[in-house]
Amino acid sequence: MSRRRWPEVTAGTAALRAVAERGGLAIALVFYVLVVAVLAALWRAAVDSNGGEVAGYTVVAITWYAAMAEAVTVSLNQRMIREIGDDIGSGAVAVELLRPAPVLGVRVAGALGRTLPRLAACCAAGAVLGLVTAGVPERPAALALAVPSAVLAVACNIVAQHAFAGVAFWWRDAGSAWFLYQKLVFIVGGMLIPLEALPGWLEATARLLPFRAMAYAPARLAAGHVEPVLLLEQVAWLALLALAAGAVFRAGERRLQVVGG
Amino acid sequence: MAIEVRHLTKVFETGRRRAVRRVEAVSDLSLTVYPGERLAYIGPNGAGKSTSIKILTGILHPTSGEARVLGLVPWLERRRLAARIGTLFGQRSLLWFELTPRQSYRMLAAIYGLDRAQEHARVADLADLLEAGDLFDLPVRNLSLGQRMRCELAACMLHEPDILFLDEPTIGLDLLAKQRFRELLVRLNAERRTTIFLTSHDVADIEHVAQRAVVINHGAVIYDSEVAAMRRTLLSTKLVEVGLSEPAPLPSTAGVTVLEHTETAVKLSVDTAVRSIRSVLDELLDGLPVSDISVLDPPLEQVIAAIYARPRA
Amino acid sequence: MRGLLATLRNAVAEARANRAAFASQVTIMVVNDIVWVLFWTLFFRRVGTVRGWDGDRILLLLAVITCGAGIALGVLANARRVGNMAVDGQLDGVLALPVPPLAHLLLRRVEPVNVGDFLFGVVLFAVVGSPTLGRAGVFVYVVACAATIVTSFLVLTGSLAFFAGRNEGGELGFHAMLLLGSYPVDIFAGAAKVVLYTVVPAAFVSTVPARLLEDFDLAGAAWLGAVAGAFAAAAWATFTLGLRRYTSGSVWTRA
Repeated sequence: MSRRRWPEVTAGTAALRAVAERGGLAIALVFYVLVVAVLAALWRAAVDSNGGEVAGYTVVAITWYAAMAEAVTVSLNQRMIREIGDDIGSGAVAVELLRPAPVLGVRVAGALGRTLPRLAACCAAGAVLGLVTAGVPERPAALALAVPSAVLAVACNIVAQHAFAGVAFWWRDAGSAWFLYQKLVFIVGGMLIPLEALPGWLEATARLLPFRAMAYAPARLAAGHVEPVLLLEQVAWLALLALAAGAVFRAGERRLQVVGG
Repeated sequence: MAIEVRHLTKVFETGRRRAVRRVEAVSDLSLTVYPGERLAYIGPNGAGKSTSIKILTGILHPTSGEARVLGLVPWLERRRLAARIGTLFGQRSLLWFELTPRQSYRMLAAIYGLDRAQEHARVADLADLLEAGDLFDLPVRNLSLGQRMRCELAACMLHEPDILFLDEPTIGLDLLAKQRFRELLVRLNAERRTTIFLTSHDVADIEHVAQRAVVINHGAVIYDSEVAAMRRTLLSTKLVEVGLSEPAPLPSTAGVTVLEHTETAVKLSVDTAVRSIRSVLDELLDGLPVSDISVLDPPLEQVIAAIYARPRA
Repeated sequence: MRGLLATLRNAVAEARANRAAFASQVTIMVVNDIVWVLFWTLFFRRVGTVRGWDGDRILLLLAVITCGAGIALGVLANARRVGNMAVDGQLDGVLALPVPPLAHLLLRRVEPVNVGDFLFGVVLFAVVGSPTLGRAGVFVYVVACAATIVTSFLVLTGSLAFFAGRNEGGELGFHAMLLLGSYPVDIFAGAAKVVLYTVVPAAFVSTVPARLLEDFDLAGAAWLGAVAGAFAAAAWATFTLGLRRYTSGSVWTRA
């Protein structure tokens, strides 16, 4: 097939497969609803105890924030890094390197394809939850920005995970790398706490890190803040992360040729 | 009576609500086994062998029917029975993978209620009997399959069970290991009168270990007899292999089927119900340039395959 | 009893022998728990007191849940695997021995990584719990109850697989219990809160213990014990009934 068509084909097949695993999707959705219910309940209780507003977020805003932050996290394959690491360790990647299409591109496209249906389902469920428990966000127009932002967030996350997983070319235990990485997204990516609620120095640091593109950006938009600059930031981070992942995989490829698969 | 089974039935229900399929894995099975017997329990895949053994060892509850093993009802008195029987299932290990066999034996001894002195005596005893003493202190992870199976055998013999149930124990073993394993089973039976109840696909297991063969298919017993008698009475065919000193055509004769005819050899199957071997041999020796001739019983595989094709007894 | 102790001893020995990636996994666990402490610290720093909970009390909750979960997942590591074992036919080994099946099953496997969680919880309590002898005693009691409840809940939801032929209930039960048990139940209201005091007893796993540690009362402690006992009995009963329907992997019960 022509080199230009493989991303669509790979993503498309992966999406079909993901939808086909309906059992898995149902479980993921139940889990998602549970997680949002808990996180939203926590923050709403916090906002209530603080006179209706924390770090600029009202009850409505914080509910939508939680729903979106979780949607872009739960819809990801939790075992991705371990699977990539396993594939690198087992030599499957070495075999893929023999194919004409770039390994990284194919894998990212495939992961994206698998994730998007779950993301759509979670966003839909999240929207229902938000409307039912809190109502419409303050600036509903922001939701239109939140949707592409969610896709960008997931893309950034996937690419970054591949960069992390590339560690497996050198160090077998990529699983630990993922764990640390996930915690970073939780705290300084805005998944558990809106960045505005962090102490000044931490918030400033978080603004410089790519993790904000993976959870904070779409969540902030969904909470009703019309800030299109976030989308530009995400695109920039996506590009940077893609370069980094590409570099890691190329270096890994060279190492395989030296050391053997 | 070591084992008594009467009209045992086990039906599995699979599938979801509207598409429930009933699978009758064991179907009106009846069987009696006497203490000290060495019995081979054979049948094709899906015949119900594993299911019936699991019912007899108390792992599964039957749908209907009765069974008593050593006078106990397996699924109701599982723990009491477990203390008196040993089980060796080829795909499931009694030993802990990262530990040495001796460490597993220590735990098993505690479970079976043996005190330290008894445990040491039994382990030493089994080490001699199974010629495995040097293996007991190596981690199981480091043992070959043949070595591991000897240690597994020791594990299920530790509490001196009255019956030993073995489900495909020689799977994966090389020829020599299989032979050794079979000899050990026979020795156990001879020295301790342990009843041996063995399932296997390997015909050699049946030939070298069992005195009696019970064939099951479609969940029921279709044949039950002494192994020695199986061949003799079951098929009336004999194989005749003839070596030719030069190529020759064959005289066609009734009751004789030609299996193979090359320039140097002929292989025939004779239905002794139609033609006596004597007359066939006479004709061959007269009519062919024979350099070598042998008369054989059909291989046991063939006998058993013929049995599988039978309807229930 | 001797048999059960011997089983546990072997489980520990086997866990110690299996050292692959142990150090990095324990590091992950410790990092994970530290991140939780960090999260709660940042949270309460910003929002102050929420429905009676503050930074100090939440750390008590964290100590109890990590210890309780550490026992349920670390020492009784097969608790979370009951559902899978039921469906995959892995219970044969237990049933072939003259042992009480559930007890033997639970003691048969130790997961050292989760034992790390337990140790973290103990250290956390020692550091922030102002441990007097009395308080330490209460801590031991509530952790024992919490561990019992978590284990029982895992066994209960896992045992549903005997009846359903699949283990989705077990998986969901596991995640739900751990998720809900990690937060103070007071953030919920109404029906949700009722559920967490009954069907999914997350309240008794961490919230109630934390309250008892700060403010001990005998009635509360008795309730906690009663709930633990009730769930243990329910788990044992469900598992035992489920064994009758065990198919031992003889037939694929998944449609």
